[in-house]
Amino acid sequence: MLIGLKDGIKLIGISIVCAAAVFVCTFMLNFYIDVQTVEQSVTEQMRALYDAQISMCKFVTAITGGVLCVITAVMLAFYIKLYVDANAENIGIIKAFGYSDASIAIRFWVFGLSVLIGTAAGFGLSFAAMPAVYRELTIDGLPDIAIRFHFSVFASLVIAPTAVFTALACGYALHALKRPVNELLRDKADKPTKVGRSRSKDRPFLIDMGLSVLGAKKSVVFFFTFACFCFSSMIQMGVSMSDMNSDMMGMIILVIGITLASVTTVMSVTTLVNANKKNVALMRAFGYRLRDCVYTVFAGYVPFGLIGFAAGTAYQYGLLKLMIGLMFDDVAGIPEYTFDLGNFFIVLAVFIATYAVVFWVYSYKLKRTSVNALMAE
Amino acid sequence: MISVRDVTKSYNAGRTAALNGVSLDIEDGKNIVILGASGSGKSTLLSVLSGLTKPDSGSVLYNDRDIAKYTEKQLTDFRRGTVGFIFQQYYLLPHLSVDGNVRLGADLAKNTSYREIIDAVGLSEKLKSKPSQLSGGEQQRVCIARALAKNPRVLFSDEPTGALDESTGRDVLDYILRLQSERGFTMITVTHNRNIADTADVVIKMNSGKIVETLKNDRKKNAYEIGW
Repeated sequence: MLIGLKDGIKLIGISIVCAAAVFVCTFMLNFYIDVQTVEQSVTEQMRALYDAQISMCKFVTAITGGVLCVITAVMLAFYIKLYVDANAENIGIIKAFGYSDASIAIRFWVFGLSVLIGTAAGFGLSFAAMPAVYRELTIDGLPDIAIRFHFSVFASLVIAPTAVFTALACGYALHALKRPVNELLRDKADKPTKVGRSRSKDRPFLIDMGLSVLGAKKSVVFFFTFACFCFSSMIQMGVSMSDMNSDMMGMIILVIGITLASVTTVMSVTTLVNANKKNVALMRAFGYRLRDCVYTVFAGYVPFGLIGFAAGTAYQYGLLKLMIGLMFDDVAGIPEYTFDLGNFFIVLAVFIATYAVVFWVYSYKLKRTSVNALMAE
Repeated sequence: MISVRDVTKSYNAGRTAALNGVSLDIEDGKNIVILGASGSGKSTLLSVLSGLTKPDSGSVLYNDRDIAKYTEKQLTDFRRGTVGFIFQQYYLLPHLSVDGNVRLGADLAKNTSYREIIDAVGLSEKLKSKPSQLSGGEQQRVCIARALAKNPRVLFSDEPTGALDESTGRDVLDYILRLQSERGFTMITVTHNRNIADTADVVIKMNSGKIVETLKNDRKKNAYEIGW
């Protein structure tokens, strides 16, 4: 079989994002359903806080579930495209023998396995954490809320995403496979390259190379910017929420933010490095120093990283301001949210240090690429 | 002067011997052709000579400096200042134009007149084309221009005209040989094409990781005199 079970299971990045999304959505939705069983016990003075809790459940579920769903879909498409490109020759041979695009695309159902693993793990973990989460979310004055299993939550957060993403995987694979057999069979280096506008005539090679690296992998630019966005927004949001006496939610958001930022960063930088190993080996064969090679691969990404960080800062500030304004406006005891400049600079310093380390580690991966491997091919 | 002494190199944890005690001397400015069947060790010898790989034992002396003992950084500096490559598989950068690819070599040598080389290999009309828009022969010519634009002291080439038709192959080979003679760089070529050997000063025949014969050409032929 062209695509094995292993291919589906090894998309660990997708599993992690799905697990994070389902982890948060499960306890929020479950709490939303369970808390309504005690609605009768809510006193008039508790009503505003109760309504705010209900709104927060909906809000967090929608934001977390929605954003992470989009990311999962994009990651899945990204992986399938990479897979089709990496296996173009084998797919070309199979197509040349007469297999239809649809009969090959249907094999991509295994990519849905990563979603199943992630959602199931997130669902299980969420139930494990639920007693503590319920205690945190339950307002003083309300009776204890019993944790119940709701099949509708399981169906919405495990069965439905698996089915939808499996169908998406097959559908996207069908789209990605619609390439002539000849093109698939040709060496990857011969693949037609999109011809953009003519570049400046006398730009130094290293600058030109850096720009071409950037332009060649737009999906990686997106993921890298997104990784920086996650790092900035989720960590600042986590710290801010901890400051607002919501330690547990702050910690959850912090952990999810770090996880998401790590997954997307590792995924984008690994793809970037793998795509440029050969180019770097060639440059080193000609005598370019490692620092020049690292510069061409990574330098173009720095402005996008900073844009992601700035966007993440604005997003978390806007979201918290909006959430607190909309939901807790009538509730006493919730401090007014203001932008914390001190936290901003600390997170910025951690961000710069973290990404400097990531680039440094990956520059060693580039260094390990044998120059001689070019000749041995 | 390049002097190779008792060089050995093996792969697969010593199970496959690629070079088995190779020794040779190459005078500066000479045109050397290495002939041999597949697996004879000629490509490995090219790698060792050019500093792309280190031998397991033996020495590779460039003017009495043993590059086999160089650190990675020293080897990078050595390749930067000394060698150029024409690869059989071209290894062009797919997202850069012909001009950008040739500048990979030209910028290292601060060669601002590299466009003359692009003209000479007949690609001036394709300056802005990407490799995917070029035929195999045109890609090979970009690879050649890139190597020559670096003004190397030693030019290593692996089947430099393998992808070219007879007419283009003769023109390009003639250009490389003329440039070699004008600029006086050393040229070391690995090929299956025995006819190209007629253009060399020295022909080295390899088999099973050893040099089995070294011949000197009394009368070198030019690119238009050889068979193809």
